Amino acid sequence: MYEFFDHTADLGLRVRSLNLNDLFADAATALFAAIVDGLDSVRHEREMELEIVGTDREYLLFDWLRELLYRFEVDHLLLSKFQVEVSDFGLRARAWGEPIDPGRHVLSHEVKAITYHTLRVECIGNEWIAEVIVDI
Amino acid sequence: MNKQPFAGLLERIDPCCVRIPKSYKPGMRVPGLLFVNDKLLEQARKDQALDQVANVAFLPGIVGASIAMPDIHWGYGFCIGGVAATDPAEGGVICPGGIGYDINCGVRLVRTNLKYRQVKNRVRPLIQALFNRVPAGVGKGGAYTFSDKEMQLLLAEGASYVIGRGLGVPRDLGNTEANGRIEDAEPGNVSDHAIKRGKNQCGTLGSGNHFMEVQVVDQVFDEEVSTAFGLEKDQICVMIHSGSRGLGYQVCDDALVTFRNSHVKYGIDLPDRQLACAPADSPEGRRYIGAMRAAANFGFCNRQLLMQQAREVFEEVFGQTWQDLGMELLYDVAHNIAKLEEHSVEGKKKRLWIHRKGATRAFPAGHPELPNHFKKVGQPVIIPGDMGRASWVLVGQPGSMERTFGTTCHGAGRAMSRTAAVAQTGGRKIDKELEAKGIIAMAQSRRGLAEEQPSAYKNVDDVVDVVDGAGLSKKVARMRPLGVIKG
Repeated sequence: MYEFFDHTADLGLRVRSLNLNDLFADAATALFAAIVDGLDSVRHEREMELEIVGTDREYLLFDWLRELLYRFEVDHLLLSKFQVEVSDFGLRARAWGEPIDPGRHVLSHEVKAITYHTLRVECIGNEWIAEVIVDI
Repeated sequence: MNKQPFAGLLERIDPCCVRIPKSYKPGMRVPGLLFVNDKLLEQARKDQALDQVANVAFLPGIVGASIAMPDIHWGYGFCIGGVAATDPAEGGVICPGGIGYDINCGVRLVRTNLKYRQVKNRVRPLIQALFNRVPAGVGKGGAYTFSDKEMQLLLAEGASYVIGRGLGVPRDLGNTEANGRIEDAEPGNVSDHAIKRGKNQCGTLGSGNHFMEVQVVDQVFDEEVSTAFGLEKDQICVMIHSGSRGLGYQVCDDALVTFRNSHVKYGIDLPDRQLACAPADSPEGRRYIGAMRAAANFGFCNRQLLMQQAREVFEEVFGQTWQDLGMELLYDVAHNIAKLEEHSVEGKKKRLWIHRKGATRAFPAGHPELPNHFKKVGQPVIIPGDMGRASWVLVGQPGSMERTFGTTCHGAGRAMSRTAAVAQTGGRKIDKELEAKGIIAMAQSRRGLAEEQPSAYKNVDDVVDVVDGAGLSKKVARMRPLGVIKG
């Protein structure tokens, strides 16, 4: 699950999941939920594969979201379904979505960048939690 | 996210300024200095902005104080409204977080010969025409696409490049900070990713707090200076707020990845990863500086092309050339940038890196960097407010050189988070509310309009009172909005 939390100038994404794979998948969903109003409007017409290398979990989350934002910016691709496998050396992911269709998609935020400010990935009890602030 | 109010000790220096002593956090190299009155201080204490001022005081080579302007609010790394000077001769760093993702985000004000009575019945068609013409909104591409070779020239030459292509006139340059070109830009240091994100975005507004607004001068505070600036009561102006779009965001993002390990390499200990930095004279620092300057040049070009599109829309709507309409650029300022400037520190002249993160240069009369036509009166400072109340033109004052490394505020500053603003809106329609006040607002995103509603911001008049009172910049004229387009 994900939620948006208050940040004065920008927008915070908070994600909670029972395992790390879902945490990364849900963080990606939260990012696109910040970009488009109504993620349900995004059809799973295209599939892409991504691989990110990295051993630090917080930087891995950052790099994962950063790569997705770049794909959105350059390929105008909205993604809404993610399958992620996190390992000690990075992650492999599949993502589904479609190009922006102005007739069906209502875009709400231009996410300029992912920020490092208060970035965290933690396991508390049996739950994983991640927080990241995105620049609007 | 914990939003603990600031509980540290604050020392009031004068009615416009308080100090965060170095003793607040071990590791602060200089004190913090906030330009605020009691009312704005109470607002600023509510979130982490003041802690961010203290964190910036950790930067190696910081000189004088970590400074914040009255429009201070919680950002990432630096607070918004933050100013820091670092001395490269003393290992001073360059810090991308002190510039922001939107490198050379800034504002320009275009004057016209039109008076309110000529425009008051045509505001809606005018705003509609601007809305139809000027690209705005998330990831929106524009009318202009540059080839890779052209991008290299644009990034090196700044606004003079697009003016050379017929999109403006050479006198626009004299009315742009740094003549619309930061010297020693290194387009080769800008990544392919950044070029790809930016190459069809020059001449687009973007979203968030960016806008194009038609305004009327409703009060003149300094007749002599406003006459020198070509401003008078009832005159129509156009204000444009945007930056370097995806290109600049990517340049900052790339640098922060490069700087991830610089704290180890250069032994820099900082309380926030978003403050990642490198000595300005290191290979990593120099590489970022070259790319940042190129992105700043892109920002000047973006606002130049936005202005050119506004000029063309006015031509269509009023049936006269923009020259006949007197649509001259009054001035263009950058408010997210770092520049190498000469300043006097304890009687010695030094070349310092002045980081302005949501803060505006405000050079006084006589400053050697000003073009001749502003040398006598000082540099115009353009301060956007919110879309329901007011915006300002100020002029730089000598106090800015003495107290803030030639800097003043940049806007109203947010008072409310985006989520809180949307929640507070409920079912209200912000455009209808503004229309009832005689302001036409058109936005690509209804949510964006709710996030940017006037009550989400501090009152810009309060902010301007402080910088005027502190002697950083002086009130010249106040404008009220007639209509606005947004992403």
